[in-house]
Amino acid sequence: MARKFSRRSFLHNALAGGAAAGTANLTIMRDLYAQSSGPIVIGHHCELTGVFASWGYWHDKSAKVAVDLINKQGGIAGRKVELATEDTESNPATGARKLRNLIQRSNAEFIIGSVHSGIMLSSLPIATELKTIYFSTGESSDVTGSKGTRYSFRTGADTYSIAASGVPWAYENLGKKWTMLFADYAWGQSTAAESKTIVEKLGGKVLASIPVPLDTKDFVPYLAQIPADTEVLLPAFIGPLAVAFYTQARSMGFDKKNIKMFSQSPSIEAISPDDIEGAAEGSYFFETFPRMLKAKDDEFHREHNKMVEVDDIHARETTSKRVMDKSHSWQCWEDLFAIKKAVETSGYKARKDVEGVIQALEGMEMKNSIGHPQGDKLIRKEDHSGIIDCYISRVENGQLVVKKKIPKEELVKFMPVRFNLSTMPA
Amino acid sequence: MLDTLLLLALNGLIWGLIIALIALGLSIIFGLLDIINIAHGDFFMVGTVLAWFTLNLTGNFWVAFLIVPLIGFILGALVQRIVIQPIRNVAALSIVATFGLSLILQEVVRITFGATPRRILPPIQDTVVLFGINYDVYRIFAAFVALVALAGFFLFLHRTKLGTWMRAVRHDRDTAIAMGVPAQHVYIFTFGIGFALAALGGVVAAPITTVEFRTGVDILPFCFMAVIIGGLGNLPGTAAAAVLLAVLEGIIQSFADPTVARISSLVLMSAVLLLRPQGLFKGLAK
Repeated sequence: MARKFSRRSFLHNALAGGAAAGTANLTIMRDLYAQSSGPIVIGHHCELTGVFASWGYWHDKSAKVAVDLINKQGGIAGRKVELATEDTESNPATGARKLRNLIQRSNAEFIIGSVHSGIMLSSLPIATELKTIYFSTGESSDVTGSKGTRYSFRTGADTYSIAASGVPWAYENLGKKWTMLFADYAWGQSTAAESKTIVEKLGGKVLASIPVPLDTKDFVPYLAQIPADTEVLLPAFIGPLAVAFYTQARSMGFDKKNIKMFSQSPSIEAISPDDIEGAAEGSYFFETFPRMLKAKDDEFHREHNKMVEVDDIHARETTSKRVMDKSHSWQCWEDLFAIKKAVETSGYKARKDVEGVIQALEGMEMKNSIGHPQGDKLIRKEDHSGIIDCYISRVENGQLVVKKKIPKEELVKFMPVRFNLSTMPA
Repeated sequence: MLDTLLLLALNGLIWGLIIALIALGLSIIFGLLDIINIAHGDFFMVGTVLAWFTLNLTGNFWVAFLIVPLIGFILGALVQRIVIQPIRNVAALSIVATFGLSLILQEVVRITFGATPRRILPPIQDTVVLFGINYDVYRIFAAFVALVALAGFFLFLHRTKLGTWMRAVRHDRDTAIAMGVPAQHVYIFTFGIGFALAALGGVVAAPITTVEFRTGVDILPFCFMAVIIGGLGNLPGTAAAAVLLAVLEGIIQSFADPTVARISSLVLMSAVLLLRPQGLFKGLAK
């Protein structure tokens, strides 16, 4: 039976609704202006479970160690830092929901973001809507490219900068005819597309681009499609898919063929070449923070390794057998120090001052230090991308041995600005 | 082109036999107990992890072929007694219970084994040139093991007293009990066999694929498709459907995108559900 509104019930409901809306508005206003002297909450959007769990462990550990260090140094602008961590479960839908929790329930004022490109892309619109700076750790270039906003930043590499720094070297040294074999989701597609662009720009040829579904167990159908005259194979897989690829490629004798394999760091992150019984031996990998200390041997790198408890050769945890995802987890550490510098430079007090932090981050330079143990870097003003030194390593006797350092000055030659996020409204 | 087509069809046949081993376990659990076992992929995963531990403890992978199905059988019997038995008369609850079991198995493995994927070296490391491609000899061996296990299972089902009991309870539980068949023991035994088959599938597949806590998640949908196309609870039909699906996908993959191949399998499954809901291989059911 339809319920009719009387004048009394209408007034009753309207007053109740008005009171609720007023309370909500007061809450938002309180968040905008409050907390200028209390602890500053930074949210960590982290993959503690699911397919990225082996990485998430390190992101969580790195962020916690870095927060302890910042607090020992006096916090951010004199305010203690509190880290609020939410598990994205390596799932885009869950990740998006958890980001709202971080910002709206835990009152996180800045976010160190997910490493899962799908989560990152589904979360950025929410961070933008809630006017919260989101540092991406994942590598899909869209988040600081075509889908980027004024609130999206990264200190590390993306598929655009990886292609710009790694592909020219591989083209010169490994071969001119390429085949891309990639995991069929945001990161894999982005890796294949960005690398293809650079190969073709250099005058090379991409013979085939073969997408592989994420639930693949058997690689034979895809390996069988690789053209025989391929000189460089770019496999773009993560975690178990990467291990399955290297295992099956080796079983099919690809290591004996005249094909060089050039992969990105995600394909070997949190995995020691020793743990996969030599399946990746001889393959080349792009790294942003070399696993071996001797490739960047300085006091900050040494101290960082000591604080996160990893050895200086395999980046293996000294208290367990876990291997660090070293080319990614440093960002969870350094993003916190980048936020610290931007907050202190801009005089940020509360959420209403976020635009000042954005302006401070745009074009911000960071020096090699304990806060930035990966090395000197810049967040490029226009596309909010990390401009960093990179490394090409090769698996030799179960170790990732650096073969070439690509300085950030060389990287930008192949990485013109494509999107200007700094002119977008905050 | 023809070489690729033949290679992928053959590879589909080989992979299909391994999948059949896993799907068969799913089918007997459904056929006898009416349990939709969401955790079945994780039984497979447990098999791969136990194979890894066996290899590391004994230094001999072959031992895993014997030990792991045995452990799988014991685990299966325990699961039936602790998780399935209390909800046996409420089939709908089985989805919730086995989903919970799936999460528990994954998290236990993540805590004990770790989240890092590992590799097991194939015990046979030769390749043979098939249709112009170096083909892994271990895969041919794996298919042979799967074939022997499938044949052994069907012989057991039709030539032993216990197998006859299993078929009898599946056919008519009340009459079987009236005839003196210990139905409760048959249930426990059946669930144990289902787990053991999936675990054996894990041992066979471990050197081909990876060992990690989520490896069972992706294999489950394919097994369910085989069970549906073969006919729910139809054991020979399930095995035949697994091989058919894998060969079909292999053939399509030789000329089209792999996603198209998977879509084709789903279309086939939908067509079977609409036109032959009893499954493609109804005549094979005994």
